[in-house]
Amino acid sequence: MIVILGILLIVIVIVLIEVPSLLKKGLKKELWVFGILLFFGTGLNIAQGLQIDIPNPMDWINVVYKPISDFLFGLLR
Amino acid sequence: MLESGKIDGKQFTVLVFMFTTGSSFLLAPSMLASEAKQDAWLAAILGVVVGVLLAWLYHSLGNLYSDMTLVEYSEKILGKWIGKAISFLFFTFSFLLAALVLRNMGDFITTQFIPETPIKSIHILFLIIVLMGTRLGLETLARSAEFFFPWFIVLFLLLVIFISPQIELEKIQPILEEGINPVLRSSLLIIGFPFLELVLFLMIFPYVNRPKEAGKALLMGTWMGGVVLIVLTALAILVMGADQTTRNLYPSYYLAQKINIGNFFQRIEAIVAIVWFISIFFKLTICFYVSTLSLAQILNLKEYRMLVLPLVMILIVLSLVSSPNIVYLVSVVLYVWPSYALTFGLFLPLLLLGIAAVRRYV
Repeated sequence: MIVILGILLIVIVIVLIEVPSLLKKGLKKELWVFGILLFFGTGLNIAQGLQIDIPNPMDWINVVYKPISDFLFGLLR
Repeated sequence: MLESGKIDGKQFTVLVFMFTTGSSFLLAPSMLASEAKQDAWLAAILGVVVGVLLAWLYHSLGNLYSDMTLVEYSEKILGKWIGKAISFLFFTFSFLLAALVLRNMGDFITTQFIPETPIKSIHILFLIIVLMGTRLGLETLARSAEFFFPWFIVLFLLLVIFISPQIELEKIQPILEEGINPVLRSSLLIIGFPFLELVLFLMIFPYVNRPKEAGKALLMGTWMGGVVLIVLTALAILVMGADQTTRNLYPSYYLAQKINIGNFFQRIEAIVAIVWFISIFFKLTICFYVSTLSLAQILNLKEYRMLVLPLVMILIVLSLVSSPNIVYLVSVVLYVWPSYALTFGLFLPLLLLGIAAVRRYV
């Protein structure tokens, strides 16, 4: 619980830092991107804080690129 | 323009230099020695030669569109949607690299200095200065790199001078014991990390005030950084031998621990740690800056600064997730990285250059 509260507190601080100046300049699209990324980041941090397994992108890259690495290093055996 | 700052050729050289030495300063010797054993220095030289060739490739691509970043001209060359898709993959590449570099730093501090502190808190602390650097922009970053450059050189020379009495030439013999193949395998590793990563500088290229100087600066920086890596690898092999170099994850750090002059001047490994913090700070900040800038350009935003804080939050989690432990880092990440980096560091620039050339002359 404390983890979630702490993360939300940080999120509020981030919103307070960024949003007023974005609103003042009227940057709507920027505000949307900011919001989506922040939402995503908050979700990830809470999941990490609660020790939920998060998929590792390096594993996906490994699936795609391991055959290529095998081939490259195999050439030089 | 998203980034209004301009840097000059010299500052660009220093940034490239810092980026090249970056995390490789500690990791390269053991990575090279793992395959090539006592020939690691040969692999380093070969890697640097290829690295300079790569820098030359980026230089010719960058000069073709000297007022645009990679994201902008890939959109122009490949069309809007394919360009954006490829740019997005490029963004993930630089972002993932930032996470891995951050993780290297965290691993180093938790294994060598403060083993009981959670790695997450170290990441957060380090990210605070990265965040400042990114928000302040390229110009500030380049000027601070210029400021730290002499420190880096002086401390590095101190390390070289004080360890040189312990050099034993027989440690690099026999040369090419198992033929050339292990050397080639090792050089593949160092080409992937750090030289193929230099492609990130195509995002900074247009912000050099004189485009002519940018290419030269890129070559110069790669060359200088490469020499540092060669010297370090050679020293690690010459002083500790291939076996010990392979077994230590951070041979340069152990090298500094071995310094002992008259039983009086010793234990100055903090020097190496400081040098490494300087260079890895710049590498991490450049990676992060490039990811932020490229994301902003892909989405056609008018500003990039508001992306910094949310991306930092994602980066913290990604750095913890992307390499769960050191074994995974060494066995999976280092093995797969060269081919992953080849996609963005070699094929993407070649593709862009090829299509641009065809369009120009047909």
